[in-house]
Amino acid sequence: MKSARPESDSMTLAKQIWLAIALIMTLAFGTSLVINVYSARHYLEQQLQVKNLDNANALALSLSQIEKNPATVELMVAAQFDIGHYRFIRITTPGGKTLLEKSYSDGLEGPPQWFVRLFPIHTTPGQAQIQDGWKQYGTLTLASHDQYAYKSLWDGTLQLLRWFMIGCLLAGTLGTVLVRWLTRPLLDVVAQARALAERRFQTVDEPSTPELRAVTRAMNDMVGRIRTMFTEEAQRLELLRYRVNHDAVTGLANREYFLSHLREILDGEQYGASGSLLMIRLTDLNQLNEKLGHQRADALLKSLGELLKDGWEQRAGRLKGGEFALVCPGQESAAEAAQVLHARLVSEWLPQWQAECPELFHLAAVQYELHQTLTDLLSRVDQALAQAQSKGPNNWHAPENSLARVVIPAEQWRALLNDALGRNDRLSLAFSPVLACRTGRLLHREARLRLQTEGSAELLTTGNFLPMAAKLHLSAPLDLMAVRLALSALDQGTDDVAVRLSAESLSDFSFHQGLETLLRPKPALCRRLLLLVTEYGVSRQREAFSQLALRLKAMGCKVGINVYGQHLINSDHLASLGMDFIQVDPAYVRGISANSGNQEFLHGLCSMTHPLGIAVIASGVERAEELELLARLGLDGATGPGINAAAQR
Amino acid sequence: MPAIALLFLRLWPTSLRWVLTWLTGLLICTAVAQNNANRYNESNNETVVAWRRMIEQARPQTTDEKLQAVNQFFNRRLHFTSDQAAWGVDDYWATPLEFMLQGQGDCEDFAIAKYVSLLVLGIPSDRLRLIYVRARFGSINSGSSEAHMVLGYYADPAGEPMILDNLLNSIRPAASRPDLSPVFSFNSQGLWVPGSSKPAASDPTVRLSRWRNLLDRLSSEGLKL
Repeated sequence: MKSARPESDSMTLAKQIWLAIALIMTLAFGTSLVINVYSARHYLEQQLQVKNLDNANALALSLSQIEKNPATVELMVAAQFDIGHYRFIRITTPGGKTLLEKSYSDGLEGPPQWFVRLFPIHTTPGQAQIQDGWKQYGTLTLASHDQYAYKSLWDGTLQLLRWFMIGCLLAGTLGTVLVRWLTRPLLDVVAQARALAERRFQTVDEPSTPELRAVTRAMNDMVGRIRTMFTEEAQRLELLRYRVNHDAVTGLANREYFLSHLREILDGEQYGASGSLLMIRLTDLNQLNEKLGHQRADALLKSLGELLKDGWEQRAGRLKGGEFALVCPGQESAAEAAQVLHARLVSEWLPQWQAECPELFHLAAVQYELHQTLTDLLSRVDQALAQAQSKGPNNWHAPENSLARVVIPAEQWRALLNDALGRNDRLSLAFSPVLACRTGRLLHREARLRLQTEGSAELLTTGNFLPMAAKLHLSAPLDLMAVRLALSALDQGTDDVAVRLSAESLSDFSFHQGLETLLRPKPALCRRLLLLVTEYGVSRQREAFSQLALRLKAMGCKVGINVYGQHLINSDHLASLGMDFIQVDPAYVRGISANSGNQEFLHGLCSMTHPLGIAVIASGVERAEELELLARLGLDGATGPGINAAAQR
Repeated sequence: MPAIALLFLRLWPTSLRWVLTWLTGLLICTAVAQNNANRYNESNNETVVAWRRMIEQARPQTTDEKLQAVNQFFNRRLHFTSDQAAWGVDDYWATPLEFMLQGQGDCEDFAIAKYVSLLVLGIPSDRLRLIYVRARFGSINSGSSEAHMVLGYYADPAGEPMILDNLLNSIRPAASRPDLSPVFSFNSQGLWVPGSSKPAASDPTVRLSRWRNLLDRLSSEGLKL
């Protein structure tokens, strides 16, 4: 998607500054070394030259004054040589014969040879004439030892090197501090730019540096505008979604929306294995309208809606004019559910209206379980309503549990799940394909856990055991197991794999750690791994989720939101989370070809999220033929029973 | 940063001007040095002209005749006086050119002028010695003595020299100069390699030695030896 150059290819600003400092320092050192060595050498040469000349003349003068007895001459020369610092002292006759020569043979612990070769010290020996009366006694030639000059030149160089090292270290430290100080605001700007590239639209504090402040301000402005645009679009979309899927009078889910959701509860894997469906039927709506007048009748409906909704938008719906339904996933006793609701209706709602309409409603409740058909369930609740009606006005009825289902107690579940987690043959993954709407090509496969129980050939789906696992605080280990299994599937296959994570795992930081330990060693597989969290979980644990998402994305994984469409739309959070994709709640997708309102909603959702680089996947697609329509609406991918069937063909 | 760049730009013409001035100065200096080259040949001073003629005439002659010519030229043409009188300082070693232009000098100026002239005439420097001597005036035992300098010519390196003295017009062997007793002798050997003209100001220690200073001045006057 983005083709930023890898960091190793180009140098960061800090590195460039460092290089410049090193270069300047080396240049400074090199120059000062050369200047120093040359000037020192020149000085030393001069000194040696003068010393040679002066000493030759002084010695020749002394020798000229004395009696030219060879022993005396030799003694004087020896004395001068032994006490002084000479390379040699030589006396030659006017004819060129050497009369006397003393020379120093021991070497001094000097500088290395290459240094002597590199910087030779040129001196000429000093010469003077020795007189013997009018006659010439000879020529005195002497040269001072130059080894010490080399040594002092070498020592001087070493000393300079030492000072340079100290200087370098000092400048380096100072430079580091300075660079850090200078680039700190820059790093913030860079972090913001990175966040933008990862589709997290965040604003940062403006730095004090004027240039950077201008950049930051511009970027903050842009981010602000994008978020405003996004928010406006989101608000518009939310209005549309609400209008399309809700009953105008009561604000409850309308028939299509509620039934679509109910189907998802019965067929999907999000909710518990069983629950209760409650239905309220008002005795006669037409009569109510006549009796109360239109406005008051609406008020009655509205107050009932308020009571039923009670925070759960999708759970309650208005199926027909006077028929309301409420679904309670996980509530296994229909009678208990009916009793509670009836008690609330009687105490909170009925008293306002009872005076005018004594015979107001009947209430019925039935138990459902996974994979039950909708028509079957609806006909059972109809029968129950009829029985409630026969009991008299404002009464309720809930048939005894007719389903032959073995209920496993919680403690047994714990043992079962722990056993499954400890072994490697009980838990497995089932895959369903996610196809690209436009091309029909496989995008990735979505994995769900399957549990094999002892003595049963049937595999339990996540709907059977995940709600229980959440209650027993076993979601995190199960999620880790799912990721582990997905990694081995990635390792063996070539397709990308998506894994769902539980909302309960998000707040568990040992889970974050475990996930990282699992993924960190396999960066190649991470790039093919997608991780999903439900919108409900994200909206509850936003902070934990965004932290986890950052870590996962840093490792190369793609992160998405599942069952999208209720809690996050009307906020700009999506713009700051940096998601790769969202998977739309099946409740909006089921029967899409007949629901022009939801078509408009999905189209709007796609045009809102696509500029942020977020792909949109429709889940719960029932017919493969709908792919074309979904592509037209702008959706990127589709999954669901219809897609499964198409892929198997 | 921009402030520094701006400052640099504003200063740029100044520095450019500075560099130009410097370059011009360098050029003038080089030109002056070029002009210095042949001062012995260019001078119109009567003595210098005569010296040039003498050198030309003596060039083809024998060594003895050369010694004779040089000794006579300086002893007859130039006046012996003290440095105080000639230069206003206690002791000043003049180059032959300065000496001839001044027309007078002390014993060192005579000795040096003869030494240099003989070198010009091709006498090798190892045959010549400038000799510090103690000179006695009057009788041998009179005790009145003075520091003096003469030029010695050693026909035989191991033998006795011929003495060229400004106090006597004739050149005599050292043995016949009982009034002089030698103290120390020197020449330019080992100091001044003939033919190589080192840049004059390269070594500041040259200025500190009278002898080396003189040799340096000779070279800057363009005397090629």
